[in-house]
Amino acid sequence: MRNEIRHNPDFGVIQVTFDQPGEQVVTEAGAMVARDNAIQMQTNLQGGLGAALKRKMLGGESLFQNTFTATAPGQTLWIAPAPEGSVQVIELQPGMEIFLQSGAYLASTPGVQLDTKWQGAKGFFAGGLFLLRAHGQGLLWFATYGGCHTVDVGQQYPGYICDNTHLVAFSQGLNYQVQRLGGMKSLFLSGEGVVCSFQGQGRLWVQTRNPSSLANFLHPFRPVKSNRS
Amino acid sequence: MQTNILYRPSQSLAQVWLQPGESVMAETGAMVGMTPNVTMQTQAGGVGKGLMRLLGGESFFRNTFTAQGGNGEVLFAPPLCGDMAVLECGMQQWVMQSSAFVASSPTIEVQTQRGGFKGLFSGAGLFTLATQGQGQVIVGAFGALEQVNVDGSMIIDTGHLVAWQSTLQYTVGKSGGGWIASFLSGEGLVCHFQGQGVVYLQSRNASEYGQAVGAMLPAREA
Amino acid sequence: MQSIVKHEPAFSLLQVNLAPGEVLTAEAGAMVARSSNLTMEVKLNADPSAGFFDKVKALFVAFVRKLVGGESFFVNQFSSPQGGWVWLAPAMSGAIKEIPLQGRSMLFSAGAYLASAGPVSLRMRFGGLRALLAKEGAFFIEAGGQGNIFVTSYGGIDEVICNGSYVVDNGHLVGFDSTLDFTIRSSGGGLMGLVASGEGLVCEFRGQGRILLQSRNTGSLVGWLTRLLP
Repeated sequence: MRNEIRHNPDFGVIQVTFDQPGEQVVTEAGAMVARDNAIQMQTNLQGGLGAALKRKMLGGESLFQNTFTATAPGQTLWIAPAPEGSVQVIELQPGMEIFLQSGAYLASTPGVQLDTKWQGAKGFFAGGLFLLRAHGQGLLWFATYGGCHTVDVGQQYPGYICDNTHLVAFSQGLNYQVQRLGGMKSLFLSGEGVVCSFQGQGRLWVQTRNPSSLANFLHPFRPVKSNRS
Repeated sequence: MQTNILYRPSQSLAQVWLQPGESVMAETGAMVGMTPNVTMQTQAGGVGKGLMRLLGGESFFRNTFTAQGGNGEVLFAPPLCGDMAVLECGMQQWVMQSSAFVASSPTIEVQTQRGGFKGLFSGAGLFTLATQGQGQVIVGAFGALEQVNVDGSMIIDTGHLVAWQSTLQYTVGKSGGGWIASFLSGEGLVCHFQGQGVVYLQSRNASEYGQAVGAMLPAREA
Repeated sequence: MQSIVKHEPAFSLLQVNLAPGEVLTAEAGAMVARSSNLTMEVKLNADPSAGFFDKVKALFVAFVRKLVGGESFFVNQFSSPQGGWVWLAPAMSGAIKEIPLQGRSMLFSAGAYLASAGPVSLRMRFGGLRALLAKEGAFFIEAGGQGNIFVTSYGGIDEVICNGSYVVDNGHLVGFDSTLDFTIRSSGGGLMGLVASGEGLVCEFRGQGRILLQSRNTGSLVGWLTRLLP
């Protein structure tokens, strides 16, 4: 299987070209753009109802996932996320763990396992920072709203602070604390809200835009409900 | 203050390096990330100034980021997708659309000025921002930025204007032959720039995008 | 005429240099800037040689198109005896692609038209129920002739060669060669696929020809945003 990510960072899209019949890609529901007609699609509750429900409730992912199976070499499949922005791919090896911010998961190969990791009160204070843990072996694709900026903590930087709405993913070896910036005045007036302060050794993936800024910008342009009753 | 703009044009991110003790001022909510030795302070710089900013479409408060006891780094981004540019102020001063301000050196005074009717019709809002002093300003745009050297005259759609050098004069007028034709053309009003200087254009019009996407969204409460 | 597309794909900007007397026709509202010697004329979206009756018909067609295709009624024509330049951009974020038609005919989703130059014929073609189901509105734009058409998309544009059959999600279609035929069906995977795959309906193309895909889909954008709205 070969994969190429095109149109990054504006509108990343994955083009998968299968080499062998039987090769598979699992995607988030609704992510398919186009495919060879002969590629088979199956819709499943990945990991059973319990795991899927937990992913949906806590990880912000769809309840169902689609599995695409090649039937002949050379078949192509195109996959894209909903938001404007980039698509990143990570080759997972045994022992590696990637923690994804809810909603960032896009696709993976069958050797990759996903489960939700409860972040406790820490997650609650970070404004719904529920994380999806990816491990196993294979390819993992995730999407960012905006471009994707990586920070290598422990090498390039001894530590790093990241606005929680811009945090997308981090690797194992990093631990974080949820903090406020500045004093009480800043908490309400600075517009910066809550940040995560990272320590340790690992990589941090940061998205260059914040989805709620777009939602807030678009809000006044929405049609208005008529009050006829 | 040294600035590197990454991921241009659509998803730009300003990476600002500060020397020990150096500061940068930014629009509220613009911070994406930073090194732990950078501290943040929220200030209005006086109620009058804060109010003027609020009227101009910016926020009442501004945040000042300062590197403590070593070099520091701060990442900034504007709220919407699009480009950023660093404008040098000193020999040249700039006028910009009020929503274009992202960050600046603390040595720069960014003043809200009334554009009067000209401002209202130029799509830049009733207020524009004008720079004073020596240093740098980081401006953000919706869309890609194009730097245009005006030498003589040029016509620019009002919704695509970002910033221009204060040496330029402009008038707001109709786009086509007559008022009816201008209306039907969908171009509405345009700015006729005169003189010599640099104009920054953005390749998209934020309110057109807002109308296109907003119309598809579920209705809101009145 | 010389043209260049900059800032691809999200915030693409089309820059066109016109030689003396050359005419560029563009969707109303698409102008970003122009040289001040260039004149802009508003035209009804009709054939220039059309008589009075044809113009009335064109007005009616334009009105229907506005209602169903979300397109504007009018187009702007840019020209000058000395030549000049004009910059164009669509309202949405997305790419701009120049397609030399070379006598072939192509169909485009109704909102894809940005500009055209040279001898290009544009017709609305009723696509019937399948076009409606394809989320492209009931009409496609059929472009033919020897000139060039500039189309726009939501997302980056990729060209896929259909050689036999190919399936495209209904929200990701920009255009296709008129040599291709298509039908609407469920994405596959039986009843489960229809109800739970999130893929909804797809267009199944058959034959030989080009399909233009866009890498984003406004339906998904709206779905994603709806959860975030204040």
